[in-house]
Amino acid sequence: MIPLQELLILSGVLFAIGLIGAITRRNIIMILLSLEILLAAVNLAFVAFSYSLGDLAGQVVVFFVMIVAAAEVTVGLAIAVVLVRQFNKTEADDLRILRW
Amino acid sequence: MMPSHFFYLLPEIWVGALALLILLLDLRWKGRGHTKLGLMAAIGLLPVLPLLCMQRQLDTLELLHGMYRIDSAALLFKGIFIITSLLVILMTREISKTPAAAQQAHGEFYLLILSATLGMMFVASAADFLMLFIALELITISFYVMTAYLKTDLRSLEAGIKYLILGSIASACFLYGVAFVYGSSGSIRFVEIRQFLQETPFSAGCLFGLFLILGGILFKTAGVPFQLWTPDVYEGAPTSVTAFLSVGSKSAGFLVALRVFHELFISSSADWAPVLVWVAGLTILYGNLGAIPQKNIKRLLGYSSIGHAGYLLIGLACPSSLGSTAMVFYLAGYLVTNLAVFLVVTVFSSHTGSDEIKNYAGLSKRSPLLAMVMFIALLSLAGVPPLAGFIGKFMLLLGALSQGHLTLAIIGAVAVVISLYYYLIVVKVMYVDRAEDSSPVPVSLPMRLALLFCLLGILGIGIWQEPFLSLSFAAVKGLF
Repeated sequence: MIPLQELLILSGVLFAIGLIGAITRRNIIMILLSLEILLAAVNLAFVAFSYSLGDLAGQVVVFFVMIVAAAEVTVGLAIAVVLVRQFNKTEADDLRILRW
Repeated sequence: MMPSHFFYLLPEIWVGALALLILLLDLRWKGRGHTKLGLMAAIGLLPVLPLLCMQRQLDTLELLHGMYRIDSAALLFKGIFIITSLLVILMTREISKTPAAAQQAHGEFYLLILSATLGMMFVASAADFLMLFIALELITISFYVMTAYLKTDLRSLEAGIKYLILGSIASACFLYGVAFVYGSSGSIRFVEIRQFLQETPFSAGCLFGLFLILGGILFKTAGVPFQLWTPDVYEGAPTSVTAFLSVGSKSAGFLVALRVFHELFISSSADWAPVLVWVAGLTILYGNLGAIPQKNIKRLLGYSSIGHAGYLLIGLACPSSLGSTAMVFYLAGYLVTNLAVFLVVTVFSSHTGSDEIKNYAGLSKRSPLLAMVMFIALLSLAGVPPLAGFIGKFMLLLGALSQGHLTLAIIGAVAVVISLYYYLIVVKVMYVDRAEDSSPVPVSLPMRLALLFCLLGILGIGIWQEPFLSLSFAAVKGLF
């Protein structure tokens, strides 16, 4: 059996990777991928806690999170597709009309 | 006889069915009947208000195995959300009638407004973290689509993708926090978490979780340090969506904040209140100082809405019934006032196609009604007596003093003066500056009625506060 601490450390590392990726990556697709890693970290934490508590609620949450993550990325990809088709832009740096 | 659970779920079922009906009719009419659909959506929402009044009761009622509950706070906020979304639908209808927008106007936009409203109603009644998360995501995902709705306008798309990326990070933070609260307390149900926290000393895991949850909430309510998206999204999104974001989404965020901080974590208020005091002070300063140099009215309102979030956070930082009563009262005043401003912006921009403040020159001649409503609403936003914004601000500052936060109260009072400066610049442009184009700005009948409603609200809440105060007090009484 893997101890809770190790699972939480892994989840923390994943969360950090996702967060850094979402902030530093410039390509919109890569940012969306990083967001998925963020939610994967959350899911891992839920499963780990649910496992150590012996309570099923955490695992139920994971299913809902997966669905919500899919919906979120769908909208993100849709916007990315429109950006490419209408303006031929895929980099976040291209989007800087709205400033101060 | 006890009315059945079905009766208590009827408002949500009604709004959900209305949304689906709009979708079906839009498909049937092949996207041509959008003004008709807008009217239908607005009229369809009306019966929900008396339904909510009929559900009033003294005790908290738990439904669906304790996942859902009806209490006075939930009912009051549902009323607020319904009124907001009604006015937003009217604004959208007004915008979609202009020739430029008519190309892209689809009935499905009303579906998105209604689904966001449904999400807000679920937020109001959620009694565990799973329900709360799903409801919040229903709101946010609807807003992502609405923000990026103008597909040929790069600003709208940019606002949409920015909102989506930052919003997803914020909801991941929120959820990560929930995971830690769940891990420490062993439950995702509010009742059990509250009981657990009262019986056991506050653990590090809970505190970590609570601060991650705070991050998610601050994003929704536009508080420092998660406020950076606000001005961009407010400027880029269609005007009616901006109005909905600044009133509906913000109220939902503050309701979650009230539930989490003043209900669940009230027993450990000594740990989180000092952090919130700082956040509130910085948010007020950021919003009000950032608003000064703005040239675009929607961007100005974006900064001003950050400032107002700061005032509401004062209420959150005061874990007493005075603090939360003041918050609810302030939100009610903010609702009518801000919607009045956005109604004027909507009418003006759909007639002239501009959101620049300098183009408001001579509005007092072009449309005395719009200029007058704008004038009164801006004064109320600044907090001038006897308008709606005054009493709320006064009570919040009183709450800060009662908790001994003198600096915070002083920051709040100074920010009122700063905000008067930038609001009055707009008033000066409207009343003193000469217009280049002096053609009158027509105001349609639904817009006149909506403006009148907001104006009555501003004056009513400001002058005749007693019923609104007792309503807010009754709403928060169930929390503690």
